[in-house]
Amino acid sequence: MPYVSDDETARLVRAAQRGDTLAMAGLLDELAPYVARICGPIALDQGPDAAQEALVAVFRSLRSLREPAALRGWVRAIAVREAVRLAGRAGRTLPADLSTLPARGDPQLGADIRDVLDRLSPEHRAVLVLRDVEGLDERAAADLLGIRVGTVKSRLHRARDTFRKAWSS
Amino acid sequence: MTEPDRTEPGAPGHVARPFGTAGGWPVADLDPVRRLRVLAVGVRGAHVTEGFVPAPYDRVWALLDDLEGDFGRIVPDMRRLRVVRRDGPRVEALARSRYGMRAGLRGEQRPGWCWLQSRFLLIGVAASPEGTGTRVAFTGGVRVPGRAALVPLGVRREGERSLRRLTGLL
Repeated sequence: MPYVSDDETARLVRAAQRGDTLAMAGLLDELAPYVARICGPIALDQGPDAAQEALVAVFRSLRSLREPAALRGWVRAIAVREAVRLAGRAGRTLPADLSTLPARGDPQLGADIRDVLDRLSPEHRAVLVLRDVEGLDERAAADLLGIRVGTVKSRLHRARDTFRKAWSS
Repeated sequence: MTEPDRTEPGAPGHVARPFGTAGGWPVADLDPVRRLRVLAVGVRGAHVTEGFVPAPYDRVWALLDDLEGDFGRIVPDMRRLRVVRRDGPRVEALARSRYGMRAGLRGEQRPGWCWLQSRFLLIGVAASPEGTGTRVAFTGGVRVPGRAALVPLGVRREGERSLRRLTGLL
């Protein structure tokens, strides 16, 4: 999320909840890059649709948010849920297949994170984003995704292993 | 002023975990038309009229960007719109309807995006390149005073009229 003080965010949330559409637009400016960063690596080609659907859900329910300080966590959970949902709907739940990763020396290999993400399921990508982009611990990631901590660990291990093998092949 | 928390993702200077974050992560872009769809959801009674215009974005936006000129020929009842102040993307304008009512509009205008509100009016316009043409979206209408809600009369018709007028000017 672009850095805006908590006070300013709280002011925008309150004003938007009172019906000020300019405050809503300001809040969208603040949230859109954050949601884009979560939805992009999880939903891939469906990223723009997922970001839109996540923000639609946020603005539809904004009045129900009682505590502005909870905004970021609330938005994060919605963004991850929508990204996994849309990516899954698009049939991107292929299991990782390391045999088709680019060969050693492929000039794309070092630069193309996207290529590796393509080989992971949306659920694996979600764990990776929550841990390595958002910096959540395993317990928080498990709570957000509604899965066991052990599942987070195994998905993370597989996702990181995919990256490691791609990087070192 | 509160010191930014640099451990917080997104804060200035935030260093994400080194694994896999050295650039290249896909980012999902929210173009202006998608932005407008999102904001309209938060405005009760709002309707989004969308259409594809077979003209390049630059040409389409040049018309919609002209608040005191072509904008008023496209958006119903905005013919007498005068910009009274600009500060970066922020705009303040005075509109006078054909019935003599005045509206002090405030909002933002930037490439592909215009969102203006007064106590009684709301106007949203967005445009994004799409192939060789442009996708445009309109929303707005008579506002329930001070609320994120529109009087649900004519919102659909006004948007369709704006789209027809825009197409007619190209």
